[in-house]
Amino acid sequence: MDLDTTVKLAIYRATAEIGRPPSAQAVAGIIGAAPAEVAEAFGRLRASRLLLLEPDGVTIRMAPPFSGVPTQHRVTVDGRDYYANCAWDALGIPAALHRPGLVRSRCEQSLEPLNLAVGTDGPKPSSWLFHCLVPAARWWDDLVFT
Amino acid sequence: MLFFRSEERVAQWCQVRGVAPRPLVRMDQLWRLAVTWYGTRLDAESRRPAPAEMRGIFESIGLTGDFWDPRSDWSVPPQP
Repeated sequence: MDLDTTVKLAIYRATAEIGRPPSAQAVAGIIGAAPAEVAEAFGRLRASRLLLLEPDGVTIRMAPPFSGVPTQHRVTVDGRDYYANCAWDALGIPAALHRPGLVRSRCEQSLEPLNLAVGTDGPKPSSWLFHCLVPAARWWDDLVFT
Repeated sequence: MLFFRSEERVAQWCQVRGVAPRPLVRMDQLWRLAVTWYGTRLDAESRRPAPAEMRGIFESIGLTGDFWDPRSDWSVPPQP
């Protein structure tokens, strides 16, 4: 397995385990690689659009669907809490973990809370809606805004 | 990419910001997107769908039109 794949798997498995993306230093410790090598792999994973990094180039802001910072989209799976980057990613966390979960978010206009149970076969029937302002072709222009 | 309680709430949110409402996505459609995008994300061979694949995924769940066309998704080179 190449280094980038090893790093990617270490990131996602650690995130699933601890609830937030790990540091480059932590990933280096997990896989037994030099921190500089891991930082370079982070950059390549960013170029492949599998990660979004903070300006320091080594802190993970997004390992989609997981967020490295608190958001209004919280997901609980097997008693562990995660933050999702957006509404899409909120459903993406149970999908990625192949486990049922509870999505807690809100209506962005009314601030009415959303508590959505998600099974391994999807959410219970719901009349809530998803809305994205940015066209698909521009999502990565500013992924945080998207 | 946000949740809304109803189409009316989306319209209000857009009006306040002076932007046009975009196509709405139902929860069952969103689940299919979530599974397609992230269902293998913890696997070694997982990757982000390429634009042509994305187009097919969107079409398969009824999301069509220019808004869902990712052809120029890679037009801006990714930052290093």
